[in-house]
Amino acid sequence: MPNRLLNRDTLGGVVLLAIAALYYWATQSIAESTLSDDVGASGLPRALTIILAMLASLMIARALLARSSKAETGASGGAEDLDATSRRGLAFLLFGAAYVAILPFAGYFISVALLIAAIAIFEGAPRRWTVPAAALIGATLYWAIFVRVLGVRQPMGWLLEKLIQ
Amino acid sequence: MIWEIYNLLTATPLILVAIGGLIWGILGGALPGISASITMALVLPFTYTMDPAMAIAFLACVYIGAEYGGSIPAILIRTPGTNSAAATVIDGYEMNRQGRAGEALGISLMSGVVGSLFGLAMLVLLTEPLSWLALAFKPTSYFGLGILGLSVIASMTSGSLLKGLAAAVIGLMISTVGTDPISGVARFTFGAPDLLNGVEPVIVMVGLFALTELMSQSGSSNVVAMKETVRIKLPSFAMMNRLKRSQFIGCILGTFEGLTPGGGGSIAAFLSYNEARRWSATPEKFGKGSEEGVAAPETANNTVASAALIPLLSFGIPSSNSTAVLLGGLIMHGLLPGPRLFEQNAQVINSLYVGSFIAIVAQIVIGVLILPACMWLVNRPRPIRAGFILALILSGVYTLNNSLFDLGLALAIGVAGFFMRIAGFPFLPLILGAVLGHMVESSYRRSLVLSGGDHMIFLEDPIAVGLLLASLIFVVFSLGREIRDARRSRIVVESPS
Repeated sequence: MPNRLLNRDTLGGVVLLAIAALYYWATQSIAESTLSDDVGASGLPRALTIILAMLASLMIARALLARSSKAETGASGGAEDLDATSRRGLAFLLFGAAYVAILPFAGYFISVALLIAAIAIFEGAPRRWTVPAAALIGATLYWAIFVRVLGVRQPMGWLLEKLIQ
Repeated sequence: MIWEIYNLLTATPLILVAIGGLIWGILGGALPGISASITMALVLPFTYTMDPAMAIAFLACVYIGAEYGGSIPAILIRTPGTNSAAATVIDGYEMNRQGRAGEALGISLMSGVVGSLFGLAMLVLLTEPLSWLALAFKPTSYFGLGILGLSVIASMTSGSLLKGLAAAVIGLMISTVGTDPISGVARFTFGAPDLLNGVEPVIVMVGLFALTELMSQSGSSNVVAMKETVRIKLPSFAMMNRLKRSQFIGCILGTFEGLTPGGGGSIAAFLSYNEARRWSATPEKFGKGSEEGVAAPETANNTVASAALIPLLSFGIPSSNSTAVLLGGLIMHGLLPGPRLFEQNAQVINSLYVGSFIAIVAQIVIGVLILPACMWLVNRPRPIRAGFILALILSGVYTLNNSLFDLGLALAIGVAGFFMRIAGFPFLPLILGAVLGHMVESSYRRSLVLSGGDHMIFLEDPIAVGLLLASLIFVVFSLGREIRDARRSRIVVESPS
């Protein structure tokens, strides 16, 4: 476990350095304004880039130092992949991304029903009548709350619009 | 004042809002893994369409309800619904094993009411006098205030100060997205009009708290089922009299922890549990189903729910995840916490006070009535519950601006939060950076515009000097603690015997 923490910190530091570099690159596109003050619109972003890069370097240095002292005592290192839980977590959110993709076409009601059913099956619900029933109840409940009660203009969907036309 | 309260009760739906918030809070808090802050973050987008005064009262009542709700699974299935209910497990579950679950739930409910009322009294008494101080605030003072708020990070990142600071910088980076507060030029929008107004803190909070939690829980096994036959047994006057010492300890420590940046309900609950045992006439009963062992932590964490609003409303400093979500709610409605809130939006404050009072009193009845619903909800299959929660989150985020872009942004932040959690980065510093970044930057630059670029302006304002010194002391103290803890753990590693 300690080795894993060390690797995590090194990797975290590298990712932070990459974020700092990307952020710095993006500050180059901030336009200068005649209304600008001494600090300017890019003043804070550039300062933040430097601070983040310093913190990332410190994190990497600390992790490497801890790793080398560990190596002296005979411990082995090596990066580890994301475990099954991590992959499951990411896959879980892919359903959210799919919901965003189909929402404009299928509309709110169908998208919510599909989302609830897909997540339930993915999370291990037995494939019985309860899944479609829960999906329909959920979609109806949320449609009633958001569209009817709160008056939110959730997408009607390309399919339904075509049908109405 | 009485006239204002009468108006609030008759001219607005405050009673419904308070009870609605309380019910949502209890249900959310009762779900294991759904903390008070997640319960609040889930409904934050809903409040967007509400009147600001009602929205803030609603969120405060959700917080109150969630603190009680967390004790239900803690007592019934040995799984705290919220972090702050962890101390309740010790004696609450033991009482349940002895067939006294109803009694434990009743003590938890009534102790929560006592703690919430005490916390609310402190909130009403202390918040406004403290905010008077802030009436003299200038841009330099606001800069000092923002820095003090950010210095909370130092105490919230025990054992990982570097990661906490890095998370705060990323939060500050997020706050720079959008239109520059002084010159009006676009920053980091990459041509996307949806980013011109910046990234709304509510999207960051929903992504980090709610989506990340759902992702982390994916694939986990279901919790132990609750027996749906349990009924609450409210404590008698004699029992309440016996519990008064532990409840008093909970009130005092809860207030202290609520006022302390980085304090929080779980620390208050464990401290109160220990102190209640120290001062108890029957300390040997603790851990074996002691009524005082349930009363002390429950009083403390409910006191925190109100007392933590004191630094938030007076100075705009959120001391916990839940108060950070409430701050997000205030900002979402264009309300700047601090003195101006009392000056210009007195109705928001009054609604919060009166709404909280209604919720606390209603908790006695609602807490009894809602128990079967809580048990039913907790016993639903987790796979279907996960689908319902994800659909609720995505529907809520869309409500903010009717924008698919917001949905994509929330999902992206959820992914980032998931990796942050794996790498051990805390969330609160990022939230604080995202929420306070705008205030820090705009007040810093406005101060320099006023002084013609002379940084001495910050030293000419005694309030700014005081706040900056307080931040410095806070950071140095936390750094000292971090170094001391690191040395201590090294000594333990070097001499494992």
